[in-house]
Amino acid sequence: MANHMFCDGLARRDFLKVGAAGMAFSLADHMALSHAGLVSDNASGKSAIFIRLAGGPSHMDTFDLKPNAPDSHRGEFKEIKTNVPGVRISEHLPKLAKCADKYAIIRGVSHTLAAHNLGTTYLATGNRPLPSIQYPTYGSVVSKIKEAPRDIPPYVSIPRDINNTTGFLGLEFGPFETGASPRANARMDVRGLTLRGLTIEDVDRRQNMLKRYDTAFDSVGSADQTVAGMDKFSQRAYDMMRSSRTRDAFDLTKESKNITGMFDKGSFSQSCLLATRLVEAGTKFVTVQLGGWDTHNDNWNRLKTRNLPQLDDGLSGLFNALDAKGLLESTTVFVTGEFGRTPKINQRTGRDHYPRAMFCLLAGGGIQGGQVIGESDAKGEGPKDRKISPDDVAATFYQSLGIDHRQEFRTPTGRPVMITRYGNVLRELV
Amino acid sequence: MKQKLLVGFLVFAGVIASSLHARETLATPSQRYAKADTEESVSFRRHVIPLFSRAGCSGRECHGAFAGQGGFSLSLFGYDFAKDHKEIVADEEDGERVDLDNPAQSLVLRKPTMEERHKGKERIKKGSWEYNMVLKWIKEGAKIDVEETGAFGRLEVFPKEIVFAKKGEMVQLKVICHWADGTVEDVTELTRFRTNDESVAEVSDTGVVSSLSAGDTHVVAFYDNGVHPIPVMRPVSEQFGKNYPKVATNTKIDELVINKLRKVGIVPSETCTDLEFLRRVTLDMTGTLPTPEEIKAFAADPSANKRSAKIEELLERDTYSAWWATKLNDYTGNNAAQINERQYRNEQSVQWYEWIRSRIEKNVPYDELVAGIVLATSRKPGQNYVQYATEMSSYLKKSKPRDFTARETMPHYWARRNIRKPEEKALSFAHAFLGVQIQCAQCHKHPFDQWTQQDFQQFQAFFNNITFGQNNAEGDKVTYRSMQQQLYKEAGYDRKDPKTRKKLQQTIAQRVEKGRPIPWQELFIRAPKPVSKYAKKRKKNTGSSRVLTPKILGGDEVHLTEYPDPRAPLMEWMRAKENPYFAKAFVNRVWATYFGRGIVEPADDMNLANPPSNGELLDYLADGFVKSGYDMKWLHRTIAGSDTYQRSWKPNDTNKLDEKNFSKMALRRLPAEVVTDAINQAVAGEKRAEVLATRTEDRMIGPMLTGVNRGREGYALELFGKPVRLTNCDCERMSDPTLLQTLYTRNDTDMLAKIDSNNSKAPSWIGELRKKYAPPKDAAKLEQSLKSLGYRAKQYQTKLNRTKSTLARTKDQKAKQRYKKLVQATEKAIRSTNNQIERAEQQLKDLRNAAKLDPDKLIEETFLRTVSRMPTEQELTMAREDIASAKTQVDGVRDLLWAMLNTKEFIINH
Repeated sequence: MANHMFCDGLARRDFLKVGAAGMAFSLADHMALSHAGLVSDNASGKSAIFIRLAGGPSHMDTFDLKPNAPDSHRGEFKEIKTNVPGVRISEHLPKLAKCADKYAIIRGVSHTLAAHNLGTTYLATGNRPLPSIQYPTYGSVVSKIKEAPRDIPPYVSIPRDINNTTGFLGLEFGPFETGASPRANARMDVRGLTLRGLTIEDVDRRQNMLKRYDTAFDSVGSADQTVAGMDKFSQRAYDMMRSSRTRDAFDLTKESKNITGMFDKGSFSQSCLLATRLVEAGTKFVTVQLGGWDTHNDNWNRLKTRNLPQLDDGLSGLFNALDAKGLLESTTVFVTGEFGRTPKINQRTGRDHYPRAMFCLLAGGGIQGGQVIGESDAKGEGPKDRKISPDDVAATFYQSLGIDHRQEFRTPTGRPVMITRYGNVLRELV
Repeated sequence: MKQKLLVGFLVFAGVIASSLHARETLATPSQRYAKADTEESVSFRRHVIPLFSRAGCSGRECHGAFAGQGGFSLSLFGYDFAKDHKEIVADEEDGERVDLDNPAQSLVLRKPTMEERHKGKERIKKGSWEYNMVLKWIKEGAKIDVEETGAFGRLEVFPKEIVFAKKGEMVQLKVICHWADGTVEDVTELTRFRTNDESVAEVSDTGVVSSLSAGDTHVVAFYDNGVHPIPVMRPVSEQFGKNYPKVATNTKIDELVINKLRKVGIVPSETCTDLEFLRRVTLDMTGTLPTPEEIKAFAADPSANKRSAKIEELLERDTYSAWWATKLNDYTGNNAAQINERQYRNEQSVQWYEWIRSRIEKNVPYDELVAGIVLATSRKPGQNYVQYATEMSSYLKKSKPRDFTARETMPHYWARRNIRKPEEKALSFAHAFLGVQIQCAQCHKHPFDQWTQQDFQQFQAFFNNITFGQNNAEGDKVTYRSMQQQLYKEAGYDRKDPKTRKKLQQTIAQRVEKGRPIPWQELFIRAPKPVSKYAKKRKKNTGSSRVLTPKILGGDEVHLTEYPDPRAPLMEWMRAKENPYFAKAFVNRVWATYFGRGIVEPADDMNLANPPSNGELLDYLADGFVKSGYDMKWLHRTIAGSDTYQRSWKPNDTNKLDEKNFSKMALRRLPAEVVTDAINQAVAGEKRAEVLATRTEDRMIGPMLTGVNRGREGYALELFGKPVRLTNCDCERMSDPTLLQTLYTRNDTDMLAKIDSNNSKAPSWIGELRKKYAPPKDAAKLEQSLKSLGYRAKQYQTKLNRTKSTLARTKDQKAKQRYKKLVQATEKAIRSTNNQIERAEQQLKDLRNAAKLDPDKLIEETFLRTVSRMPTEQELTMAREDIASAKTQVDGVRDLLWAMLNTKEFIINH
């Protein structure tokens, strides 16, 4: 095994030992961190759902409206009241207005990267991208730290992560991709897991066959790491393919009417429904993607006819279903785009990329819902007083999952790297 | 107690005495500072800072952290003397850290002795020599003495090598520092020690090495700028030295490997079988599985030198140049997403690949190949901008493009967006061509090598003026800018109107297709800019106004005025015979590919504290490589032709735990591209398998995989760890097994479809078998339909004859027309029926052949396609049963193929 030297004298072997021990993050660990003041006592997240609004949603037309801004900025949408006094959001999010007590709105989140891929990487890792290092996404970090049941996929992307990277954590912590969005009342296919044209009996027959032919290295056995690793994964892959829990989790026909009734038939809503089922089964991290937010032109029509109704139904359904299943306390939900959009309306009745002011939502996992943190200025052009960075939101997200965001991992070249070095936990939230 | 266990002390004491000829060695600090009122003077650099480092004060967990600790911050591992001195002495707030009036009250003494509360616990005992030493330094005025102490010379460590006989034995190390000014001092007590393998040996803070388990490693001593490794070993068996069995050493490599194995008591494994060798070398050298025909021919070849003949044969294949081009593209970081020219970045990335591949194919000397990258320029001498831009376009024409590989140099390496800054260029350069990781020294003294921040900055200075962008060269009538304006006009492009963007792209494409120039950016050496007033002011404030003279890593300063191109002296240095990195870096990487592990490991991390596991071996190969004229094929041939490479993977009692001495072949998962190609090759129909084995267009080791899109096989490549070529680390290529990889080969839709596809572009072997061996019950159906087709044909014929005779009789023109048409239609129907009959007859013929399906032959072929060997008797019996019990025989073969593709024997190179 590689014996890489690290800047502080640990050899890679040490790191791997530490890493292996760090795999199972137990309650005792949480207590220890909590005792040391590193994570809050309120943190109750055990799993997470990350909703990526790809393209960069307009903050001014969703969760950060400026009814008093001049015509050049304001836009045509009105504010409506929510079930939390004083908190107002867009009129095209009526269902979310009815459950505003379940999530917190963070306004005036600010950074400087106005390109899609850079902004996405920043918001998907909690680290400003650097050319010299690839940071792992939240899902890779969480599935490294928190262990899922052995027959359940630990990290699932619906339908896939465009900019996903396990970064310096290595290949092991990548997501299972569904490849497509789920349809209502149907079973979902997942690459590698779904049995297409095969029955359980076929799988058993093949596994039995494989065992009989895969004997070349039996004499080496567990003495060789590559051989031992492959044998371990072989068994786990088999368990997962056969697992009725996993199969059922991906089967939306198995959901109760009570819960399915909370979602419309759209693909985003059904993705959210699937996310609740996966978390229920033991998956530690689910990514759901909703695109189409890059509204350089025709912003308001596109938002009110397509994006906002989808978001409103899926997200409110997600919060309500998690709550109904008793999972909201143990599941942190993080909703974000890569940036906001220009407060000043452009010539094509659209808004352009604008990282200086954006919004994020956090919910569940001990996050105190029903509040607004941070504030943008009168025209929505930047944070008013307090600057909140994507790093801070990431730190808070990790905090709610009982993860100390300053915990260090090591890159294969030996650099010790904190999960999010520059983040500070937003204490009002967790 | 320590004294009692010291082993070999007397032996090395003698060595010390003889080696210290000129100067007298200063006594140890514990002797010199034993008393508080010592007369001996103390050096900040030679004593105080090393003490803080050894005591852990400047470690990363303590005051060496970036933010310091408790408001007190020291440079990590203590090499920024000025900063540390300032921090210790010039404590403006309260003057407490060092109290010149009342030295014993200084915080730097009260804290580590716990007189004052100290989170870092007790580090120094009050009244100890350490205490006295720091106290004396303060009494003398707490002065910095970097200038006075001058340059560091070298470290000498005794004993030079430790060979233990049993567990628990201990040896005290002794470290002598020779300063450039001639001072010689025993600095054992001020040295940091570290073991490279804490399961083999441990080392105490005071330098006592103890044996833990059998095996070999290094213990490293760190003092000032010195890093010195000492080999430590304990034989793993009784068979070492004189007791070592006789092992043939047919090549120099084998001799050097056995020399080391003899010392540590490891007996190498047997020679591998011919077929193991064939599979292994074909995969390692050409990234390709051997074909069934090739395997059978090799097995049947009776000649004694067939292995070396095979090596020569492989070195001539396209797959050899393709696979090694892939590796060199990894090292040099060919990533299309980082190429500046958006519209043509995939094409330029392919140019980069092909430029390297063609040179590997022609076996251009490695140094020449690298020089073509390092010294690359966009324009040829004397070219003006239009000529250059026209040339660049001419390579991209779809019809009759110019041959980019004929270009003398390849500038794309320098054109990447992720190495715009000089420090990024320095990091990439050190990694790609020197196999050295210097990023630590960007921020602090490299903890495991001699590199200081100043070394880094001086190295970086070579790259300050290497620029990729718009060059308004003297004498250019047309420039990038003016050509761009003209292009925009031609295309009617308006920056403010995104709708015109498409037109611009089309115009660019049209111009390129016609071989007309478009505004290409270029690589050039920028004339040093005069420093602006603002920059001067800014630099003054940050205190970094030094103008650094470029200095080669571990070499001399270079006055660039003597060179028009700052890269020229770098290349000269790399080509110099005594260069410590250039040849070694490549040799070591190639070795690592053949053995799954470098002689220096990680292969791209050559540093003083990470010595080679077999230094003589690395030296021999590097020297030989240089002497051969950087002949890459010499290197491949020499490595693959050794017994060491041809050992079995099967361990014996002495080498089952050996990982670094090359006593057996390591089991290695196939690299991402190779695994994907191997699957495609193993499942492919007969003809396609042949194409995949010999040509590279459709291969993952071929040119198409350098593009931005992850493409058809992107998912699998990502899963199996294809490097993204972004971060200057060979570790990007990952070879660890994962769950998702296993699920991919077991059950991924792509994988299952590949095994059993009817795709006409990529026909599968199983698909072809299905056609050939369709189930016999269909034969009856076919016979039936043949019968009715024959009947129909007869009827048509009768009808045709009747119509023809009617036509001949008819006088009426209109009726004539009608009958003519009817004749035509009937003739057409007859033709079509005959075609159907022909097809059905062929099918029936195929079906009748199907009865001849020979399970043994297909079982054999399945094994040859996947694990490149014949089945054993037992496997054959088992497979016959499996095929017989399947739904159809072909289904049985498919399941067998699936199973074999999922064995470790398939995916592990062994």
